[in-house]
Amino acid sequence: MILSPAERSYLYDSLSVQPPVRPDARSAHQFRPIEASCSFLPNSNGSSRVRLSDGGEAIVSVKTQVVLTKNESSLISIDVDINKERDDSNFIKNLISSLESILLKKFPIEKLKLTERYSFKVYIDCFILSHNSYPLGLLSLCIYLALKSTRLPLLTSTVNDREIEEQPTFNDDWEASKKLFEPSEHQDDPPLLFVVGIIGNNVFIDPSNEEEEVSENGLIVGFANGEIVPPVQSTNLSNRDSKGISPKHILKAYSMVRNCGKEVVKALNTVVSSDDDVFTSIY
Amino acid sequence: MSAIETAVSGNPKKRLSSGLTVTQKVFVRSRNGGATKVVREHYLRNDIPCLSKSCKRCPNIVKANAQGEFPNFVLETDPLFLKNGKIGKHYLILDTNIILSAIDLIESNLSFYDVIIPQTALEEVRNKSFPIYLRVRALCKNEEKRFIVFHNEFKEETFLNRNKDESINDYNDRLIREVAKFYAKHLSDVGINVVLLTNDRNNLSKALNENIITKTLSDYVELLPNADELRDLVPSEFSNDFSRPNEVSYPEYFSTSRINGGIKNGTLYQGSITISSYNFLEGSVSVPSLPKPLLVIGRENLNRAFNGDLCVVELLPRDKWRKPSSTIVDDEVINKNDVADNEDNEIIISDQERRLLTQEAIEAQNSKEIQPTGRVVGIIKRSWRLYVGQIAPNSINQSHTGNAPKSCFVILMDRTLPKIRIRTRRAKELQGKRIVIGVDSWPSTSKYPEGHFVRTLGEIESAEAETEALLLEHDVEYSPFSKNVLDCLPKEGHDWKVPVDLQADEFIKKRKDLRDKLVCSIDPPGCVDIDDALHAVKLPNGNYEVGVHIADVTNFVKSGTALDHEGANRGTSVYLVDKRIDMLPMLLGTDLCSLKPYVDRFAFSVLWELDENADIVNVNFTKSIIKSREAFSYEQAQLRIDNPSQKDDLTEGMRVLLKLSKILKQKRLDAGALNLASPEVKVYMDSETADPGEVEIKKLLDTNSLVEEFMLLANISVARKIYDAFPQTAMLRRHAPPPATNFETLNNMLTIRKKMYVSLESSKALADSLDRCVDPEDPYFNTLLRIMVTRCMMAAEYFSSGSYSYPEFRHYGLAVDIYTHFTSPIRRYCDVVAHRQLAAAIGYETLDPSHRDKNKMELIVRNINKRHRNAQFAGRASIEYYVGQVMRNNESKQEGYIIKIFSNGIVVLVPKFGVESLIKLDQLSNDANTSEFDENNYSLKFKDTNGKMRTVHIFDKCEVEVKSKLDEATGKRRAQLILV
Repeated sequence: MILSPAERSYLYDSLSVQPPVRPDARSAHQFRPIEASCSFLPNSNGSSRVRLSDGGEAIVSVKTQVVLTKNESSLISIDVDINKERDDSNFIKNLISSLESILLKKFPIEKLKLTERYSFKVYIDCFILSHNSYPLGLLSLCIYLALKSTRLPLLTSTVNDREIEEQPTFNDDWEASKKLFEPSEHQDDPPLLFVVGIIGNNVFIDPSNEEEEVSENGLIVGFANGEIVPPVQSTNLSNRDSKGISPKHILKAYSMVRNCGKEVVKALNTVVSSDDDVFTSIY
Repeated sequence: MSAIETAVSGNPKKRLSSGLTVTQKVFVRSRNGGATKVVREHYLRNDIPCLSKSCKRCPNIVKANAQGEFPNFVLETDPLFLKNGKIGKHYLILDTNIILSAIDLIESNLSFYDVIIPQTALEEVRNKSFPIYLRVRALCKNEEKRFIVFHNEFKEETFLNRNKDESINDYNDRLIREVAKFYAKHLSDVGINVVLLTNDRNNLSKALNENIITKTLSDYVELLPNADELRDLVPSEFSNDFSRPNEVSYPEYFSTSRINGGIKNGTLYQGSITISSYNFLEGSVSVPSLPKPLLVIGRENLNRAFNGDLCVVELLPRDKWRKPSSTIVDDEVINKNDVADNEDNEIIISDQERRLLTQEAIEAQNSKEIQPTGRVVGIIKRSWRLYVGQIAPNSINQSHTGNAPKSCFVILMDRTLPKIRIRTRRAKELQGKRIVIGVDSWPSTSKYPEGHFVRTLGEIESAEAETEALLLEHDVEYSPFSKNVLDCLPKEGHDWKVPVDLQADEFIKKRKDLRDKLVCSIDPPGCVDIDDALHAVKLPNGNYEVGVHIADVTNFVKSGTALDHEGANRGTSVYLVDKRIDMLPMLLGTDLCSLKPYVDRFAFSVLWELDENADIVNVNFTKSIIKSREAFSYEQAQLRIDNPSQKDDLTEGMRVLLKLSKILKQKRLDAGALNLASPEVKVYMDSETADPGEVEIKKLLDTNSLVEEFMLLANISVARKIYDAFPQTAMLRRHAPPPATNFETLNNMLTIRKKMYVSLESSKALADSLDRCVDPEDPYFNTLLRIMVTRCMMAAEYFSSGSYSYPEFRHYGLAVDIYTHFTSPIRRYCDVVAHRQLAAAIGYETLDPSHRDKNKMELIVRNINKRHRNAQFAGRASIEYYVGQVMRNNESKQEGYIIKIFSNGIVVLVPKFGVESLIKLDQLSNDANTSEFDENNYSLKFKDTNGKMRTVHIFDKCEVEVKSKLDEATGKRRAQLILV
């Protein structure tokens, strides 16, 4: 995005005051409005779609496959595809690496275990149709929703097959499938990643495109089950050189994320629990 | 247009256009251990009719199909009226379990007309049993039975969505009940009811609650006017109504997932089980990873497997391994102590341990000691079919009268199968008759399988009953040709003639006119289906022109017609002593295709130019028209050739053929062709009474050899040609060399007893060593040895050329590198296929795609191999029966040879009758304890009935008294031999 010096200085100054004045009149801990829906892809185990008010849109599909546990190095596989970007670009690689670093660590793997020998492998495929600001936040929300809406086929054969091998068989009724993340247990929600912008002494969450342009630095903060979790990494949100981060920024970011994180999770859970009809969403 | 309606059950449908609605089905498919979510769109129509002729509304809603045809309204306006139960005029709706268990009853002509099969039930049947599904489809095509398939899942009014947590079975039951409700409402204004038949208790009670007229099968049968005839045909219900105490407990089969897992990782094995005909408690399963078949010994280990079932076996732990039995065990002699121990607790053997066990098993099999054994843990596919047997005399309580059904046992003709328990009210009446029964199930608590009565064939030992029993037991299709098939024959029937105008159409133009050739045929006396004819003439250049002309069957049997399908299914003609079951209708076999003398006939000719040495200079194949000059019998031809006063061209031609055939034969023997004898006998029937009079061993004349040599030559030439044209799908015949293991025992016996040896290095070595094994004191010994060698041979088989590599095409017995059957298309389907392929190879016509498709050829080949085997067994069984009848009238003393020795008996072959029979130790001797069985020297020493010690060895010549004895239990006549 190209900003004229006047625009640039205006944005910078408004965002540096205490409290920061954001161009769209949001408060520092306020997110942009999103539109989200779940379970609309009939062939996937779980799916979600999030649209951001600035036109960004992402779709995530979760599919599962039965694999021999010992043959797989990792039971989760994430792939990101951005419209009009090369699949091997650094941009995408960075996104995937941020996502993997939190999802692989903070995912309750024992939920995927089927028998002593077999487990489910989860393939998370993300497709970003368009984005104006840094899409990591959007993507993370979308992945959260998709995982929460994922259902796993119910195993009907034996669980203990260490000594005697049995071929896993499943209940053919899709309604009998169980959700990967049960709605009641709050202990075990998928993790989220939040993008925080830093200007002067201020930190603000979910920066828009213009805000990113003038920011001095940015932070990616992980959040799971009410706690800040790694990764916490700095990132340059603008095209210009970044300035340093002080510990104060990090602490402010932490407390902001902690507060709004809970609200975000609650809001997303409401989306998931409103039972969406796949059929209606197609026809 | 975009209105989304929600049906009553709360699931969405969307109307796409008038008459078409779409809904969605989601389910999980487990395959190979994986789970996939499957989503299907399901379309619903509103123009599916009820197909009742009485309905006034449905004829208005039907639409024509793609061919412009309208559905056929089949159900009668005036169906069966039942007063009892206030049913009145009604149609029947069948639930899946009824179709699966009582298909025989449903097919019978005594009842079940105007029947509705719901689509749901049909698909369930298809998934559970494909053969029964085919029979239901055939019933629907049968105009007399008036069966219809009602597509309830496509019809908008009868479609229901599956409820949450509803099992598939409950869902299907609900769909079927919906069909009943729909029909009841739909036909209420024309006064026709519907009766739902189901044996499922759950479905029954729910249906009654919903006010549907429902009955179990047996309740419904009781209401019918001919209930007395039908009662016995109702299959045994698997409920525990007639409480039978748990007689025995067979181990339960493993779950499907365990079986699949085990087979995939190699710890469980899948194979067809063969029960030994000498010991019905011993079976063997061919397992790919073990060099020899795995033994399964004992009733508990056999675990309800039938001979021929496809089952899953596991290796038993080492302490249970045994030696294969050298004793004969019959049904009557079962010793309970021999059955595998059941005191052991179930020990879990891990997969790792199993793999080690397999290694040990392989080693054990390569030595001669204890052999590994296994047990059956699952049955994948039952080989059950309709069986012939008779009621065991001692299983009926003679004093019992009254109409209550009683169980009794049926002993089957096939001795490797167990007794079947059936319930019938007519046991006394059925005694002494051959009956056909079907098998229903074998619960793990029952000592014997459960079955039901189907029909009777007639008195035991009556010729008709025995013949029919034989054909049924060998799975031979003997019903008359259907109308569809007969419609494929030429309209002129017997008046068909070779057309006069030889340029009329493109095909006739390609035929060569060979009517000037002096063709004749040589066949067994009384033969009317003449497949082949020959001619020979000396050429000016000193070589000979020889022609073999084969009946042109494929001119009348075109690919893909009903006639072709029927022929392909039958696979071969079956020859019994007094009867012949034709593969093709007689019009073709004995008239239009048969190369009868004095008339013009179409033929497929192979023409060679042979030099003095009978080497092929060139060969030509062509479709032709011939006119046979004479039809000789073997004897007549021989007489004519030998008669010096006959000097005409035809006789000269025959002499040329004879000369060349002798050279050809010598060449074959030099190359190593085998000349094995089989104890073939011919039964002479008394011409007036059709009673068997005499039995004679077939003799071979020179003229037999003449025809045979040229047929072989033709088959070889054709094989080369069609393989050249269709290397992937040519129809060929091969004979694998016998594995050395088959000969081990025989060679052991020969070396020890006669100091002779049969070499297996090559077929030539085998033939030569066989020629050398002559006993100067006993000329028959060599023939006996040849008979025993035949039994060690592999069976020859048909195959499609794409299935094997060229070296494997070899026909060991004939010592040729490639072979097929071409010369008898009237009685063998392989020849029909070879004809079609040859016709395409010479450019006469294009080849039907099914003969160019590897998979389809595989199926054809598998079928004709099976049919060929069955026909051979049926033929032998027929001879055995008639020989038994001959012996019944002539008890005599005959020469016999000992061909097998057991610890408790010997097997003796009587060459004159071609019959072999077991003589048990307790018939040889009164004092079994003094007997000594020397395994290594193949001898048995015992105290004979005169008190003298006697030793018998393998190959010994002996004298036996031949009697024919009717076995009470099996109803089969056996030769009873008594050692003199």
